[in-house]
Amino acid sequence: MSTQPTDSFASQVTLVKEIRRELEQQFERILGEHGAAISRLAYSYEAVTGIQEELAQEIALAVWRALPHFRGECSERTFVFRIAHNRGLTHVRRRRPPQQSLDDLEETDEPVDPRPHLDEQVAQMNQRAQLASAVQSLPVAHKQMIVLMLEGLSHAEIGEVLGITENNVAVRLTRARKALKETMGVTL
Amino acid sequence: MTNDRELDVWREQWSGVARLSPEFLGQVQERIKVQDRRFWLGNLLAVAGVVGMLILAVYQFSHQASRIEKGRAIGLCVLVFVAVTCRLWFTRGTWRAETQSICAFVELWHRRVLSQIRRLQISIYLAIGWLVFCAALAAANWATVRLELMAHPTAYLAIMLVMVLMLRAIWFWAMWLRRRKVAELNEVTRLLEEMETMND
Repeated sequence: MSTQPTDSFASQVTLVKEIRRELEQQFERILGEHGAAISRLAYSYEAVTGIQEELAQEIALAVWRALPHFRGECSERTFVFRIAHNRGLTHVRRRRPPQQSLDDLEETDEPVDPRPHLDEQVAQMNQRAQLASAVQSLPVAHKQMIVLMLEGLSHAEIGEVLGITENNVAVRLTRARKALKETMGVTL
Repeated sequence: MTNDRELDVWREQWSGVARLSPEFLGQVQERIKVQDRRFWLGNLLAVAGVVGMLILAVYQFSHQASRIEKGRAIGLCVLVFVAVTCRLWFTRGTWRAETQSICAFVELWHRRVLSQIRRLQISIYLAIGWLVFCAALAAANWATVRLELMAHPTAYLAIMLVMVLMLRAIWFWAMWLRRRKVAELNEVTRLLEEMETMND
């Protein structure tokens, strides 16, 4: 009789440890699947490379904190993007991102392969840099739409992340794309 | 691939932006450990602080013969009770978002900042009220207070000096925090408006 409470406590501890281990596994899987998207999203909110990494880590931490509350009511991808954007917004509040020049972007990207299609590669890299720079300089609301669209989320998923209807998503996306094109036109 | 050629090109370009570093997972895991430690330590310190203050108050009340000490002990208990109640009252509705979306998050953020500003304002009024109450109490019991003061003049003078300096420091800190919170409120309001105008 006297060992019952101890056994119960031990089994509770074991249960908690198991839950924690499962959460850790789930977290590692989520980072494996969506880590690159988190990194890109951090990039869209922050222009300075060192701080981008820090922001990506903060997003991952926020995902870890929210993971026990994830009840599977939405897809894992929606869950991650929602947290990532919320964290990005908090980051915007803390500091306004300085504009990054195209030269900086070229330095941070992978080196150019000095082989036959050099011109083509340089052109591709410039286009990527232009797109990235334009996304960074968009207002937050447009940026959210564009990043979610670029990450391949459907209108329904974007609506779920932002808390708006699908019709509204379509309207906003049109405006955000227009703004992106205009910004890219300016940076050209 | 979609039928939208422009979107496909953008997606392809976007996928090459900001590659993830190989140490990312390790760095995050390390930060989780640090955060866990901070979380436990923070909670322990908060509980220890409140319990410590209450123990001190009870000890002073039961072991001190002086009426001033007893009064201070009761005052401390009342202060802790009022502070905790006020905190709970002003943070109601700010624990979690109504729905899990970015709009709901921004609204929650707006409510939190407003609640923080209100808490700060009420703390200032409470502190002023507390000072007036202490002064009135001291005036009403001046005969007893005077005897205590005459018995330990240096100690009471030192306490008064420290309190004045502390009040000054707390006042400057509160004003600095208020400015920061008002700036944050403006930023969140702007963000909310930006999101709302996109719906028009």
